[in-house]
Amino acid sequence: MNESTFTRVAQEYAARLYVVAYRLLGHRADAEDAVQRALLKCFAARHAYSPQWAISTWLYRVLTNVCIDELRRRRSAAAASRASSEIAPRHARPGTVGERVDVERALAQVPREARMLLALHYVDGLSFVELARVRGISVNTVKSQLARGKAIMRKTLEQGGRRSRRPRTR
Amino acid sequence: MDRIDEVLRDYFDPSQAPPELAAALARRRAAAPRLDPEATVARLHIEASERGVRRVSLQGRRGGLAGDRRLAERARRELVEYLGGQRTFFSVPVDLTGTPEFQGRVLAAARHIPYGEIRSYATLAQTVGHPRAARAVGNALGANPVPIIVPCHRIIRGDGTWGHYAFGPGMKTALLTLERRTPTLVGSSSTGIVCRHGCAHEQRIGESRRIVFASIADAKSVGYRPCRVCRPGR
Repeated sequence: MNESTFTRVAQEYAARLYVVAYRLLGHRADAEDAVQRALLKCFAARHAYSPQWAISTWLYRVLTNVCIDELRRRRSAAAASRASSEIAPRHARPGTVGERVDVERALAQVPREARMLLALHYVDGLSFVELARVRGISVNTVKSQLARGKAIMRKTLEQGGRRSRRPRTR
Repeated sequence: MDRIDEVLRDYFDPSQAPPELAAALARRRAAAPRLDPEATVARLHIEASERGVRRVSLQGRRGGLAGDRRLAERARRELVEYLGGQRTFFSVPVDLTGTPEFQGRVLAAARHIPYGEIRSYATLAQTVGHPRAARAVGNALGANPVPIIVPCHRIIRGDGTWGHYAFGPGMKTALLTLERRTPTLVGSSSTGIVCRHGCAHEQRIGESRRIVFASIADAKSVGYRPCRVCRPGR
């Protein structure tokens, strides 16, 4: 795999991969790092790539695993002391409109798996079947997770961004 | 389409990615340090007793094996595999007799840091029960007789900078980069089954039972079998 192939794949997918990673990790540098790691891992494991998969499916699959690793690492290293309620305001970008902060806060209430599916669905418009392949779950689970995620977001946004009491799952 | 769809589509709009991101990623990849496994290990001096590896050091241009040849040769082979991204752990025993008690505890704690992860000196000091002894931990790691095999390179300063490393900061960067880019497999120590990252079964493995492997051969060498669902190694 040479530099030009890497650059071409990176050019085509980097922006979409970045937005998924950024919205899941909430941190620009971490998101760039996650995209870099995902691309490198894909190249390192390119012999395992099966042509029956779309390359985007494969990239998203590796990226989501990298993000899960990062979230798991943060959870174990971090710090029980860091309350989840701090996450949304802390990562809110300065100067953004209030609605964006509300969306960020509402999304923080959505369980991790559903959040990941929402990100993949809205960044690249992946279909239910593609999402099921990316995450290795059934199509019906994808549908129910997406509906659940959206229901939680709708409820939180209607409540004016107040945090619900439901505990976050990993 | 309802309002929530519009809000989410706007929120996840890919145009907000930084411009020139792809070029920056390609530059970072080109600038990443690389190690030649055979050439690097050829420069290492590996000394072993009949109990395990006693010393790994960089002496002059030519390395070599000393003491118990069988264990030293095994350590050399595992180091080559590790630097080539084929191994995430060392099964060769380490002989730390003669090291002071505190240093022994610090090195034992460092050996428990998983492949691909990093800790700060302060965190390691807490782990060994001396939360204020970060500097002493740094000294103990600095005198690590078996670098790489006891992964003292996985400990960095709390501010994110590397700190001292026996084989130089360039080597530390190269080792940490290698560990971050190596695709890993995850096994469960209770079932003895190894899965690809992302397999449904892998996600159910508890934190305390997760074992990370670099390759399926790596996993099979310690008796793990591949998962029948995600079929790693195919």
